Amino acid sequence: MSRPRPLAWIAALGLVAALGAGLVVATSPRRPATAQTGQAITVQRAHAGSATPSLKGRIVLLTIGSDSGAPKFGRGGAMESGRADALQLVVLDTVRHRGSVLSFPRDSYVPIPGHGTNKINAAMAFGGPPLLVATFERLTGLSIDYYAVTSFDGLTDIVNKVGGVRVGVDMNLRDHFAGAFLNKGRQTLNGRQALAYARARKTLPGGDFDRSRHQGQVLLGGLDTFQRQVAKDPTQVMTWLGVLRDEVKTDLPFPEVLRLALLATRVPPSQIRNLPVPGTAGSAGGASVVRLTPGAYALFGRIRAGKYS
Amino acid sequence: MAARSTPWRRRAVTAGMLAALLLVAGCTSGGKPEGGGQATSTAAPAAPAAPLEVRLVAAAKVPPGLNAKRAAKQAAPGLERFLDRYLTAAFVQAPGGEAGWDGLLGLFDTPVRASARKQLDALSLGAAAPKVSAVRPSRASARAVVLYNGRRPAAATVRLAFDATADTAQGSGQVHLRSVLQLLATGEGWRIAAFDSRTGPPQ
Repeated sequence: MSRPRPLAWIAALGLVAALGAGLVVATSPRRPATAQTGQAITVQRAHAGSATPSLKGRIVLLTIGSDSGAPKFGRGGAMESGRADALQLVVLDTVRHRGSVLSFPRDSYVPIPGHGTNKINAAMAFGGPPLLVATFERLTGLSIDYYAVTSFDGLTDIVNKVGGVRVGVDMNLRDHFAGAFLNKGRQTLNGRQALAYARARKTLPGGDFDRSRHQGQVLLGGLDTFQRQVAKDPTQVMTWLGVLRDEVKTDLPFPEVLRLALLATRVPPSQIRNLPVPGTAGSAGGASVVRLTPGAYALFGRIRAGKYS
Repeated sequence: MAARSTPWRRRAVTAGMLAALLLVAGCTSGGKPEGGGQATSTAAPAAPAAPLEVRLVAAAKVPPGLNAKRAAKQAAPGLERFLDRYLTAAFVQAPGGEAGWDGLLGLFDTPVRASARKQLDALSLGAAAPKVSAVRPSRASARAVVLYNGRRPAAATVRLAFDATADTAQGSGQVHLRSVLQLLATGEGWRIAAFDSRTGPPQ
């Protein structure tokens, strides 16, 4: 037991001495610590930046809700050859990040190229989306860049797949015909509720005008929901585009779909006005129609001039 | 007794040798002139550069009928190559001078390229590039969600993290990048269609 002890003491003393020497070196005010550890410098200060695509000044998109191509709702056929029950003209100023949603009553009685005058929703049944686009261009004087069409099934699936959309419901609704039972106030609607809110007409005081305004609200509610989700998780852009890929038919090339979606993350919904197109109830050939008033044409003129509010 | 004394002696000898080594190290360090330590430190050859290797975890959103796992696996190599090109152009072989960034900017979709040019400091070494002699990557990791349109990748969201040591004449420092890149698949490969990016010290 006694033999190892001197060695141990020597070792311990050596260790203490070495540690002491190291400590002196490390704490000496005349020698910077960097001499021991390597000089750490700031190569780059903090910078942050972000950007979305810069697109041409104005984009006009016709969104169409078709009454066909919805097997879940007992509506057969192809959705592009049905009647257009929801018609919104989305006009977006891509530079100033603002715009308008013009909501058209589906019974608007307007000239349809090659088909006389008829309800605007018949144009798609006569000649598909291209004839509907031509009808809108003649009516508004606006050049329409793209269209996007979906069905009852498509709308409900879109809303359900993204987890619901936040909509500011503007009246209490008890509409048995559309299945809409909603209280006034901002709320998250599921697919069936969103469709019912967009379809309810018969019990509404403003009839077709209230309905078209509600359709615009659902569209803007979708934008609001999209932005909220992407702000929390940027990969949600892919989720939404995947849903739209499966549920919407459009003549938008995919790169433009992506660019528009990325741009849409920067456009505050409050900067997009939902503008129901003015008209009065009337009749034509025994059918109830909506005749657009001079106010409608004045509105188109303002939009053409870039005045969106 | 003997069985116990042998390890004790070994331990003592080891401790003694360690102490001697430490002493020598301490004496050597303390014996050099003041300026010499600093000069030796900065002039010392940099640690060998690890090759840039992007570690990617990918998921895919596919149309009905396609296998999402298989699609993610198929898209991953192309994405890794693109991110490798990006990090190489932005950091590892970042050029100095204004014109030198064309290679990096070529990786951006046209509608966002002008914005990228104005924000190079948030996307790359930027203004620090001319003073950097070498960049040694320590981490390059990414998580991607790839969107298929038909049977091909069409777009992707990538969260990219890159850490490295940059060497300059004045010393070395850490560089960092944290980015969310929205990518578009084009005929010429992936292009950045939008970004949200920051560089510099981690927050």
